[in-house]
Amino acid sequence: MRKIIGRILVFFVSVLLLSFLVFAISRLAPGDPLLSYYGDRVEKMTPAERAWAEKKLGLDEPILTQYGNWMQNAAKGNFGISYKYKQDVIEVVLERLPYTLVLGGIGFVLTFGLALLIGMVCALHEERWIDRIICKVGTVTSCIPEFWISLMLILIFSVELQVLPSSGAHSLTEDSFIDRVWHLVLPMTVVVLGHLWYYAYMIRNKILEEIRADYVLLAKAKGLSRRQILYRHCLRNLLPSYFSLMAISIPHILGGTYIVETVFSFPGIGKLAYESARFKDYNLLMVLCILSGITVILGNMIAQAINERIDPRIRAEEVFHDER
Amino acid sequence: MEDELMLNVNHLSVEFKTKKGTVHAVRDVSFSLKKGEVLAIVGESGCGKSALCKAIMGVLPKNATTEGRVMLQDRNLLTVKEKERRRLRGSVFSMIFQDPLTALNPTMTIGSQIAEAIYIHQPKMRKEEVKERVYELLELVGIENPKTRAKQYAYEFSGGMRQRSVLAIALANDPAILLADEPTTALDVTIQAQILTLLREIQQKKNMATMFVSHDLRVVNQVADRVAVMYAGKIVEIGTREEIFKDPRHPYTWGLLKSLPEFSRGQKELFTIPGMPPSLLTLPKGDPFAVRNDYALAIDYEKEPPMFEVSATHQAATWLLHEKAPKVAFTTPAVFASEAGPVEVAKSTGTEIIRVNHLTKEFRMPGKRRFTAVSDVSFSVKEGEIFGLVGESGSGKSTVARCLMDVYTDYTGEIFYDEIPVHDKEARKKYKKRLQMERQMIFQDSTSSLNQRKKISYLVTEPFRIQHLKPKRGSLEKEAIFQLSYVGIDEQSMQKYPRELSGGQRQRVAIARAVATDPKLLIADEPVAALDVSIQAQIINLFKHLQKEHGFSIIFIAHDLAMVEFLCDRVGVMKNGELVEVGDTAEIFANPKHAYTKELLAAVPKIYKEGAPCEK
Amino acid sequence: MMNDKFVVVGRLERPEQTVTKNVPWYKEHPVVAEMMLVILFSGCFLGIPFLPKDPTFMDILKYGIAPGKEFFFGTDTMGRDIFSMIWYGGRVSLSIGILATLISTAIAIVVGAVSGLAGEKADTLIMRLTEILLAIPNLLMVIFLQAILGTPNPITISVVIGVTSWMSIAKVVRTEVRQLRNSEYILAARMMGGNFFYVLWHHLTPNFISSIMFMVVMQVRSAIVAESTLSFMGIGLPLEIISWGSMLSLSEKALLSGNWWIIVFPGVFLVGTLLCITEVGNYIRKRVSAGDSML
Repeated sequence: MRKIIGRILVFFVSVLLLSFLVFAISRLAPGDPLLSYYGDRVEKMTPAERAWAEKKLGLDEPILTQYGNWMQNAAKGNFGISYKYKQDVIEVVLERLPYTLVLGGIGFVLTFGLALLIGMVCALHEERWIDRIICKVGTVTSCIPEFWISLMLILIFSVELQVLPSSGAHSLTEDSFIDRVWHLVLPMTVVVLGHLWYYAYMIRNKILEEIRADYVLLAKAKGLSRRQILYRHCLRNLLPSYFSLMAISIPHILGGTYIVETVFSFPGIGKLAYESARFKDYNLLMVLCILSGITVILGNMIAQAINERIDPRIRAEEVFHDER
Repeated sequence: MEDELMLNVNHLSVEFKTKKGTVHAVRDVSFSLKKGEVLAIVGESGCGKSALCKAIMGVLPKNATTEGRVMLQDRNLLTVKEKERRRLRGSVFSMIFQDPLTALNPTMTIGSQIAEAIYIHQPKMRKEEVKERVYELLELVGIENPKTRAKQYAYEFSGGMRQRSVLAIALANDPAILLADEPTTALDVTIQAQILTLLREIQQKKNMATMFVSHDLRVVNQVADRVAVMYAGKIVEIGTREEIFKDPRHPYTWGLLKSLPEFSRGQKELFTIPGMPPSLLTLPKGDPFAVRNDYALAIDYEKEPPMFEVSATHQAATWLLHEKAPKVAFTTPAVFASEAGPVEVAKSTGTEIIRVNHLTKEFRMPGKRRFTAVSDVSFSVKEGEIFGLVGESGSGKSTVARCLMDVYTDYTGEIFYDEIPVHDKEARKKYKKRLQMERQMIFQDSTSSLNQRKKISYLVTEPFRIQHLKPKRGSLEKEAIFQLSYVGIDEQSMQKYPRELSGGQRQRVAIARAVATDPKLLIADEPVAALDVSIQAQIINLFKHLQKEHGFSIIFIAHDLAMVEFLCDRVGVMKNGELVEVGDTAEIFANPKHAYTKELLAAVPKIYKEGAPCEK
Repeated sequence: MMNDKFVVVGRLERPEQTVTKNVPWYKEHPVVAEMMLVILFSGCFLGIPFLPKDPTFMDILKYGIAPGKEFFFGTDTMGRDIFSMIWYGGRVSLSIGILATLISTAIAIVVGAVSGLAGEKADTLIMRLTEILLAIPNLLMVIFLQAILGTPNPITISVVIGVTSWMSIAKVVRTEVRQLRNSEYILAARMMGGNFFYVLWHHLTPNFISSIMFMVVMQVRSAIVAESTLSFMGIGLPLEIISWGSMLSLSEKALLSGNWWIIVFPGVFLVGTLLCITEVGNYIRKRVSAGDSML
């Protein structure tokens, strides 16, 4: 129980620290936030007008005071308005969030499902031709930058073959389920391809490590078949690391969609984050950073909890900690 | 019925294809195993005994190829289908392993691992029945409270309990044949004695044919009906227990027996087999043992000897048994022991080099718990004395050593080194250099005590490099050559890395490094525990020799009582962090006072008692 | 005669059996990858004077020309020769990859070693802070660092990439150091009086260097990817500074006009380079782990 309270405390302190860091970095960095609010008009503003605008947006005070104000409002659930969209930031984010969740979420599930499958196939056929081929192909895919594979896919499937749409989440004229799925194909491919081999290879090596453990010999001596050993023992022992790997990777895959979103003009929060950071849309930026920060910290914590709770091996290490 | 043949191994060979070449792990081995008998396979590490076990069990890794026949009744196990072999594994054959911790799956409860072994062969068994059987098995192997124990994980078990659990798994389907691969090597003496008794009990109750692999002749003598001695992948001698221990015929068997410390009781040095076992990658022409054999014949260097029959049950592969060969006799240690005079104790009268008063050391554990590793230990060591510190794992003996070497300084109590109060920070600072030069330590595991990425020449001269001292022999290189030759390492090894040397050689390098600075006190923490018997004896001799030459004091930490008895002048016995008994070696071994010392001494298996192999 | 053979001769010296390695060196090395890297590096760093065209020259009249005899890989939307640009830009891309790696490795070793050698509490603090740093979206860090450092040039880009990508190596260094510092040879060196720097230099570094070598090589790879991605997104190098990334930032225009060669050729070079680096990295990893399993 004390441990849980401790964890929650660590979580809040981390988020608080994170919010301050982001706040400080974003405001200390040069750049004009008024640009995103007023657009090109900024250039024609008189100094008086500027001062007035800054006061209106609360940008004239020292950073610490600004942060205090922001905290006070945030505690009440008011995160301010987006300078660019002139809308409550929560609304802006909520409007875009589903797109990213669909793209990243399905991508995440697909990636890990396929990774486990490929990892298993490779490990079962270690050093045989099927493993070698998958490893080679995998290495090649892992070397292709996400943006370039996106470009190539667009070039092949949209420009040359003209079978798949190259941008947006749905067509301008039509907005049906099938149309949305159709628009998802290419971005999803990139999301999955971009991460698949990294995880599949990791899982492959983890399984190989398990296969070499001594307990496999005992299981073999009991009369279990290869398959039974793999499913009942190795995979079972793999699961804790698999789940904790998944937990750590949630933010990685969800947050890593901004490149894909930019190339395919997909209206998710990744693209939003990119814009807000570039054009100093402070309030929007804060919410997005805290959101992604929370997923990172939560992901890490879940992974740690999984490791400690599910895997008796780590508990065992704890018990024999300092005894020699 | 007694003589019913269970298993017949015919000309079995096992080879491993590795990156470095083909390893001939088992070469043309033949023997048979009868119902209800225990056949022990003895040999040093790397002689192929484990590979033999795995080959019979059919659990060799993929890079292994086998030749010959392993006959179970009239079926050759090496050619039957994998499905059939699987059916036999765990039901007809079972195996127990050296390290019970890694052999058990860490993420499954003990109960479910035993249950798995049951229903893999009896899939139709009802759940309740399986449960009952699991409890029954746990009880059989002497685990109390089987119902709660079955729900626990391996890490919640002690070493002995783990080995019992592995045994329970092996016994799950009442196998006819049990293969035990060094089942007690990883355990403490008292636990080893328990497991051996249990094994023997169950084996007799179930009338199992058992193959018991071990490197320890003393253990073998306790459990075996017949003994096979392996060297370089071959069985060099096989016979009944009596034949092997009373009338051994192969020089290698002689060597193994003579290496036992009790054999050399009263002698200045332990007997050793010179040299090292050959690499199984490239075997020399003729008999691989010839280069270590004082009685090698000319023909040994040309042709491997065949098996000669000594009696119907006793065979040995040595040319000495050829009718034309000269007769060489082997004397059993009984004669030795009676010829030798009373044990001479070198009474050291020197001043105290180290004095420990009320030493207590606690470790903080995760959470608020504390663990007292050493509690209120007091003893002293005189100049030129070899002081043995014995105890089982976790008794705190290594912690004492580390306190003595200032690795831990947060202890309570006093430690005086040559009247310097080293528990005092100021004194440590003041005499820093002297303390660093005069006290040296040797560790158990030479792989981790030598940096794998430094050359031998660097490692030996490290103390000079650290202290920026000018070596006595002029240059660092000359010093390295001198020190290495002193411990029996040739010059060619200077440019090698530790991993290119054998375990014994590495330990020699570690010793050379320790004595290079002319220390006054040497602390050796289990320096021979990780080595083979014949190599252990070599290292012990080296210690004895060096001690005589340099006259330093040694604190020798060990769990092997026989070694301690041979080497040490005085002994301290530790248990659970306390020093329960201290005294002269002869006194303690002849007349132990504390109950634990008695238990410890009783647990040591003995081969020769009053001249003859002792009876079971 | 026969009897001679049965004379006790005892132990005889025999020449030591040497184990011959039967794997030729070229089977262990990724020869193709290494050759390609050599060609690439020498082409990019030494071959500039021999390029057929001036890579920076914008021939307005000859924009978007398909690959042919005059322009092997065609021209870009501004009329520059892509073949020449690839070699010219490769120099920038590779340099950034190496410089950024040096920066991040240096930071990683310092942070990792300090954290690994520090006490329990300091270590936890450092690791927690690193985790929080990791929680800040990388993109944000990059954009703000860019804003602070001013107009992007290869050096600033290297710094930006280096400063944002040291965490994973630092973690490995820390774990290694934590493990190593308990090993007995460190203990032995300490007992002999070896001070902190002696231990760090003679015992710690040689051991953890080999285990991070793979990561360092892979860091070169990800730094090159990072540069190209940033330039492509428009927050890296501007069009005038030719690199593989800035060349690819013309892709959107190229897609509209269907000039596939603008996207394909620099990309193929980029991917090929990354692949070669990966091969070399995998070789290093295999060699390190093979060495350990020989024990």
